[in-house]
Amino acid sequence: MRRRLGPGFWLATAWIGLIVAAAALADLLPIAGYDDTLVGPPRSAPSAEHPFGTDGLGRDVFSRVVHGARVSLGVGIGAVVLGLGLGAPLGILAGYRKGLADSVIMAANDIALAFPSLVFALAVVAFAGASLRNVLIVLGVLGIPAWVRLIRGTTLAFAEREFVLAARVLGVRDRRILWREIMPNVAVPAASYAFIGMAVVIVAEGSLAFLGLSVQAPTPTWGGLINEGRTLMEDAPHVVLAPSIVMFLTVLAFNLVGDRLRALTDVRQSGLEPARQAAPLPAGPAPRPVTGALLQVEDLRTHIHTPRGTVKAVDGVSFTLERGRTLAIVGESGSGKSMLIRTILGLLPATEVSRGGHVHLEGDDLTAFTPEEMRQVLGRRLGTVFQDPMTALNPVRTIGTQVTEPLRVHLGMNRRQARQEAERLLASVGIPDPARMLRRYPHQLSGGMRQRVTIAMALSCGPDVLFADEPTTALDVTIQDQVLRLIHRLREERDMAVVLVSHDLSVVRQWADEVIVMYAGKVVERGPAEQVFTRPRMPYTEALLQAAPRLTDPSHHRLRVIPGRPPDLSDVPPGCPFRPRCAYAQDRCAEEAPPLLAEAGDHHYACWHPTGTAVSDTPEGAETHGR
Amino acid sequence: MILAVNRLIRLMVVLLVVTFLSYLLLNFLPGDPVTQILGISATEEARAQLRADMGLDQPLMVRYADWLGGLLTGDWGTSYISRVPVADELIERLPVTLELLVAAQLVALGLAIPVGVAAARRAGGALDQALTAMSFALLSTPVFVLGVLLILVFAVTWQIVPATGWTPISVDLGWNLTSVLLPAVTLGCGQLAVYARLLRADLIATLQEDYITLARARGLSPRRILWRHALRPSAISLITAVGLNLGALIGGTVIIETLFGLPGIGRLIVDSIFSRDYLTVQGGVVLISVGYVLVNFLVDVVYAVVDPRIRRA
Repeated sequence: MRRRLGPGFWLATAWIGLIVAAAALADLLPIAGYDDTLVGPPRSAPSAEHPFGTDGLGRDVFSRVVHGARVSLGVGIGAVVLGLGLGAPLGILAGYRKGLADSVIMAANDIALAFPSLVFALAVVAFAGASLRNVLIVLGVLGIPAWVRLIRGTTLAFAEREFVLAARVLGVRDRRILWREIMPNVAVPAASYAFIGMAVVIVAEGSLAFLGLSVQAPTPTWGGLINEGRTLMEDAPHVVLAPSIVMFLTVLAFNLVGDRLRALTDVRQSGLEPARQAAPLPAGPAPRPVTGALLQVEDLRTHIHTPRGTVKAVDGVSFTLERGRTLAIVGESGSGKSMLIRTILGLLPATEVSRGGHVHLEGDDLTAFTPEEMRQVLGRRLGTVFQDPMTALNPVRTIGTQVTEPLRVHLGMNRRQARQEAERLLASVGIPDPARMLRRYPHQLSGGMRQRVTIAMALSCGPDVLFADEPTTALDVTIQDQVLRLIHRLREERDMAVVLVSHDLSVVRQWADEVIVMYAGKVVERGPAEQVFTRPRMPYTEALLQAAPRLTDPSHHRLRVIPGRPPDLSDVPPGCPFRPRCAYAQDRCAEEAPPLLAEAGDHHYACWHPTGTAVSDTPEGAETHGR
Repeated sequence: MILAVNRLIRLMVVLLVVTFLSYLLLNFLPGDPVTQILGISATEEARAQLRADMGLDQPLMVRYADWLGGLLTGDWGTSYISRVPVADELIERLPVTLELLVAAQLVALGLAIPVGVAAARRAGGALDQALTAMSFALLSTPVFVLGVLLILVFAVTWQIVPATGWTPISVDLGWNLTSVLLPAVTLGCGQLAVYARLLRADLIATLQEDYITLARARGLSPRRILWRHALRPSAISLITAVGLNLGALIGGTVIIETLFGLPGIGRLIVDSIFSRDYLTVQGGVVLISVGYVLVNFLVDVVYAVVDPRIRRA
C-alpha cells in the first residue's frame, strides 16, 4: 500500500497552504486595501509595487485577488463541511442498514440529482439574497447527494467484507463496528472527495459570483473580478488574467490533492500494449531444427517483474510437436501452463514482462517476428481456445460478426462469402441451424454452444496448431466429452497439431499422445502419454495421478490430495522446487536442482530419486484427506 | 414490458416531485412578488387585490395544481415584468440553448473518444500521461475562466471569431456556426475531460477481458480491437455521464450565454432573476429540470441499444 504521492501532490499542497495563509492574513499583509481607488495609475501593467497591476479604478488587483480568496475558501470549506456533515451519516445509514432506509435515501438522492444544480442555486440565491451565508448553505446542500452516494458506496463495499461480517457474527455492537471497522476505511475516500468537493464548490461559487449572484460588492470575489476584468480585456488583459490564473491553479491544486489521495487506494492499470517494453531475456542459441517438427519450443522463459521480485512464470521449457498429434500440458493451477501458452503466442499481459528462448513454427522463429508478422501467423496458422466460454466472446457483438471477422481480415473474403463460410464452420462443430445462430448474441447461447463457437472461430482460417487452454474446465461433465471428441475429430480431419492444457488427468489420458508435466514454471516430466501415465518417474506426477479421482474407486474412498502448496514463484528455494512437498526428498534435493534427464523411449524427468526404482517405493507421508 | 411500465411510473413520480419542489422553493423564498410589482408604497387594498388576481391567497396545493394544469396545457403564465407569455418567451429562446448544448456535446464526444482510446492503448505511456495531464488541467478550469481565455486569444488577439453575439440559423447558417463555435468549444472542453477520463478507465478494464486476449490471438490489429471490440462494451459509463452531465452543461449554458451574449434560456433566467420575474424563472427552471429528467430517461433506453445483454432484462 506504500505508494508515492509524487512531487505534484506536494506542490499542490504548498499552493493550497499559500492561498489559505494569504486569505487568513489578508488584513495584515503590507498591501493596499482591496477597495482603495487610485493607489496607482488605472490599468497599469504588473510592476514591483503592484504585482498584478491595477484595475480600471486604479485599485490593486493583487490585494483584490488575495481578499477574494477569503470568499472562495470560506464558502468552499463551509459547504464541504455541511455536505459531509449531513451526507456522511445518511450515506453510512444507507450503506450499513440497507433495506428500507437505503431505498428511501437513495430514491430521494436520485431525485435530488435530477435537478440541474447550478440553475437551482441561481434561483435560490437570487430570491433568498446573495450573501456569504446563503451561498454557503445552497452550495453545501446541493453537494449532499454526491456525498451520500460516495459514502454509501464505500460503506456498502466494506459492510460486506469478512472482517465486518465476522464482527457482526461475534455480536459486536453496530456502533462499535461503525467506529472501529467502517469509519477508518471510509476516511480515505472521504478525505479525497473533500478536496475534490472543495474544487467543485470553488468553481460553483465562482460561477455565481461571475453572474453577480454571490457576495456583493465591495467585497471582491474571484468570479466577480473575472467578470469585471472582461470589459478591460482589450487594453488591460492582466486584470482578468490574474484572478483567472490564481483560480485555475487553486482548483487544479485541490483536484490534484484529491486525485492523488484517491489513487492511494486504486489498482494498477495496464492497457492493450505495454507502455514500456521490458528488456528481453537473452534468447540463447537457436535450436537445431528437428526434422518433421511443426512446432519447436526451445528454452522458453517468461519473467514477470513485480515489486516483490522477478517471477519466473515459465522457466526454460522445451518441446517439439508434429502434425496430427496432441500434446497435453498438465500441472496444478499456478504451475505456468497458461503462461506457457501465452508466451508461445506472444500474448503476454502488457507491462513488465520479459521473454526469452525460441518458438519455431516450421522453421520460422516467431520470437523474432514483428507485431505485424506475428498477427499474420496468429490469425492464419495458430488457433486458440480459452477456458471460459462465458468470457471468451464479446458480449455486444453478434456471433456472426465475430465468426466472420477473421475470415474477412485474414482471408479477404467479402461479407457474403464470409457468411457462407461461417455457416459451414458452425455446422462442422455441430451447431444446429447455423444461419440463425449467426444473428444471435453470446448471452443467448449455452456454455457448450459458446465453446463450440470459439472453437469454430479458432479454426476459421485453417490453423496448423490449435492451442486449447483448459477448453472444458468451465463446462458440464456431459458437454466436456463432446467438446474433446470434437477437437480430436477436427485434428484428424485437418491434420493439425493440438496443444491441450488441462489439470484434469482423465481428459489427458484419453486424448493426448505426449505429455508435459509442469511444476513452478519448469518441465518436471515429459514423454509419451502411455509411459508417463503408467510409469511416472517424478514424484509430482505420481502425486497428481493419485489425486485424480477415478470412477473405479470404491465409493467413500478417501480423496487423495497433494500436501502443501506450490512454491512462491518470486522466491523459489534452491534445489528441486517440489522438495518441500515430496515424500521421497533427500538432502541432495534441497541443494541441487535435478536436470531433465532422458530415459529410454523419449521419457524425460527431473528427479534425483525417481519413483519406480528400488530405493524409494513407499510413499510415506502421502497424506489422505477426507472430502 | 413490466419494466417499461415501472420506468414510466418512476419517471412520472420524479417529474411530479421536480415540478413541485421547483414551485415550492421559489414560493417560500423571501422576496414578495406583490411588493416587487407594486413597490413598497402600495396600499394594503391594492396589494390584496393583486394577491387575489394572482391567486396567491389560495392554499399552496391548489396553487400548485393550478400551475401544473397550466404547465400541461401550455399556459405558463404571463410575465408581470415583460407582459409576454412565459411559454412564448421560453420557446423563442429554446433553439439557441439546444443548439449550444448539442454543439458542445459534439465537440466533447468528438474529441473525448479518440483521446480516451489513444490513452488506453498504452496505459501509463507517454501519450497517456500527457493526455491525462491535459484533461486534468481542463477539468480544473472553470468554464468562465476558459471562456474568457478563449475570447482573449481568438476574438481579441487574433480576431478569428466574434467575441459575442448570435446569428440564428434562419438568417445565415455560416454565421450561425461561427457564432456557436467558441461558446460550444468552451462548454464542451470541460466535458471532454470528464468523458475522456471515464472512457479511458472503462477501456482499460475491458482490455483485460478474455475476449480481447482472444481477439489478439486471432491476429487482429490493435486499432481494430480498440475501436470494434473494446469501445462499445466500454461505453456504458460514458453514456451515463453524457446524461448526468447534462445538468452541469445546462448550468454551464447559463454562464456561457451570459459570457458570449447568446439569447438562450440561461440568459433569460439570469435576466429574470435580476428583474425579479418569478414566473419566468420558475418556467425556465421547470423546463430545464424536466428536460434533464427526460434525457436521463432516454439514456436508459440507449443502454439497451449499446449492450444487448440489457435488452433481455
